[in-house]
Amino acid sequence: MNFSSLNLPVIKLLVAKDWLLFQKQLAACVLAGIVALCLIGMATGWSFYLGSLLLIIVLVSASCFSISTSLLVERKEHTLAFVMSLPVTPLDYYLAKLVGSLVTFLVPFLVMLAGTMLVILFTPLPDGLVVLSLLIFGHVLLAYTASLSVAMAVESEGWNIFAMISSMVLINPFIMLLGQLPAISDHVKTDTIVFGPVVVSILLGQLVVGVAVLIATGWVHCRKKSFY
Amino acid sequence: MKYAQIDPGLFLSVSDSTPMYQQIVNQITTKVMAGDWPAGQPLPSIRELASASRVSVITVKRAYAELGQAGVIVTRHGMGSFVAESRDLSTTLLRAEFTKHFDAMLASARRLGLSAEDIRRLLDEQADWSADSTEGSTP
Amino acid sequence: MTTAFSLSGVTKRYENFALRDIDLSMPEGQVMGLVGVNGAGKTTLLRILSGLALADAGAVEVLGHAMPAQQVAAKKDLGFATEDMRLFKTRTLRWHMDFVRAIYPGWDEAYATELLRRFDLRAEQTMTGYSHGQRVKALLMLNFARRPRLLLLDEPTTGLDPVARDEVLEALADVLRDEARSVIFSSHNTKDIEQMADTITFVHDGALLASREKEAFLDDWRRIVCLGAWLPDKIAWPEIAAARQNGSILELKVRQFSDGLLKRLQAKGVEIRSTEPMSLEDIFVTTVRAGGVA
Repeated sequence: MNFSSLNLPVIKLLVAKDWLLFQKQLAACVLAGIVALCLIGMATGWSFYLGSLLLIIVLVSASCFSISTSLLVERKEHTLAFVMSLPVTPLDYYLAKLVGSLVTFLVPFLVMLAGTMLVILFTPLPDGLVVLSLLIFGHVLLAYTASLSVAMAVESEGWNIFAMISSMVLINPFIMLLGQLPAISDHVKTDTIVFGPVVVSILLGQLVVGVAVLIATGWVHCRKKSFY
Repeated sequence: MKYAQIDPGLFLSVSDSTPMYQQIVNQITTKVMAGDWPAGQPLPSIRELASASRVSVITVKRAYAELGQAGVIVTRHGMGSFVAESRDLSTTLLRAEFTKHFDAMLASARRLGLSAEDIRRLLDEQADWSADSTEGSTP
Repeated sequence: MTTAFSLSGVTKRYENFALRDIDLSMPEGQVMGLVGVNGAGKTTLLRILSGLALADAGAVEVLGHAMPAQQVAAKKDLGFATEDMRLFKTRTLRWHMDFVRAIYPGWDEAYATELLRRFDLRAEQTMTGYSHGQRVKALLMLNFARRPRLLLLDEPTTGLDPVARDEVLEALADVLRDEARSVIFSSHNTKDIEQMADTITFVHDGALLASREKEAFLDDWRRIVCLGAWLPDKIAWPEIAAARQNGSILELKVRQFSDGLLKRLQAKGVEIRSTEPMSLEDIFVTTVRAGGVA
């Protein structure tokens, strides 16, 4: 893979195109996310439960819409041939898709993350939740990269849907597992934010796996023999 | 002598059974004989004619080659093609047309088994044809 | 003389089909017509030239650039359109035009506007509203307007109404003007190829049957109607591609016409009634039926 010969201007244009195509869904997600955060912030039992459920739904939706718009729809609409007929290499295309998808997802993701942090810190909710929620957001991001990779590598819509759903559904056992860890359960209900070695290593692990998956996918993509 | 800009679009028909290059040869020959393209007139470049008439370049090349061979046009290397300067060009072309029909007639006659005598007799029967046309009489 | 493209020993294998050992090249400034039945390999060939499909073996060079190693450089001057290519449904044609213009410095806005008019396309309409014919024209227009040095077109007139087809041929004829620009296009409409191509290439079952200059090719083929109660032996008469008999009338389709052949036929007691050139369509169908030797 020759990084020095990347066609940056065209990559920028392709990313801008994906961003443009995603606007409507983006607005809907952010709106719903704000509602979710409000519900969480009210800090009563039922609103917290409802709010966090809605928040997770928003994150999963953002993930699915982002992948769907940038990859799956493009595949169904057969626009890949048009894009690849432009002066770009498969690597250019992969990076454009990666950046485009990540940008379209990270915007609602980071907004929700920041919002969640703010809600936790500035409401009666215990601040210890910060650690748990960071880990959950970390998982969502990791699930996203996994789904993105599957979407780049595999054409079957069925497998793509399976990947998106299963990776997100794994949140439940993940949260349960986290709850078992003393490093987390000890502090969740308190107002102290503790980033112990366990938490840090989990976060780092999520990051490293995510990056590795993306690199591997890129490598596989560039070895493909047909782009239409 | 200043030559007018030629409209390079010939009217070629795909449905005509005559091969394309032959249609081009015929049309250009007609234009020369009719005086549209005077002697010495520079011809459109092969590409220009091909593009305007919607045929392949190779077809025009062939047509120009045939026209060159027939003496209708003259191609000067590096300068393009021009209508031949021959003063008797019209006559030459008409004579060439006559010879073609004449040869075809002879071949037909041979197939029918006609002798030279038979042909002469047929001609005599038609002897009045030239007289009729010059008098321009209409019954 | 610069080559527009060259393929040597190119092979591409799919599950149910394979393009085998293709050797084909074309000098700049020419038009090549690809003729073949559905599934013969024309689209695959064009895809390999465009870099959208990678050959399993062989060397591909387009506009002097090795493919796929230098595909970006090649694609800068390449125009490509196939039947199954689609544009972005939710975007307008205008958006696509702006998109392409931002990428290619050769974009001619004035020419694009003229093509919009000639092709009868509405730029402000989103692609969902486009019919098949309009979509084909839109894709072609996006290619023509940036004046690429090499155009790879798969069935550019197929499925178009006669007026649209006429306009596309007109736009193709514009390309002829420039001796540095080349076109290779495939078509079921053999009349288009017969009219516009300098070279004709027959593709059949993943192999190249023939690639020859059009005029020479059309000259070689003749339909001979004659009188005689005689059917040629295919092996002794390799020039004869097809023969039909109805009573005393014999119709021969000959792939290698010469005066010598006429004399030999006459020596067999056959009386020649007429010889006439054959249309490309007739040549093509005869070749395929005769077992594919052009």
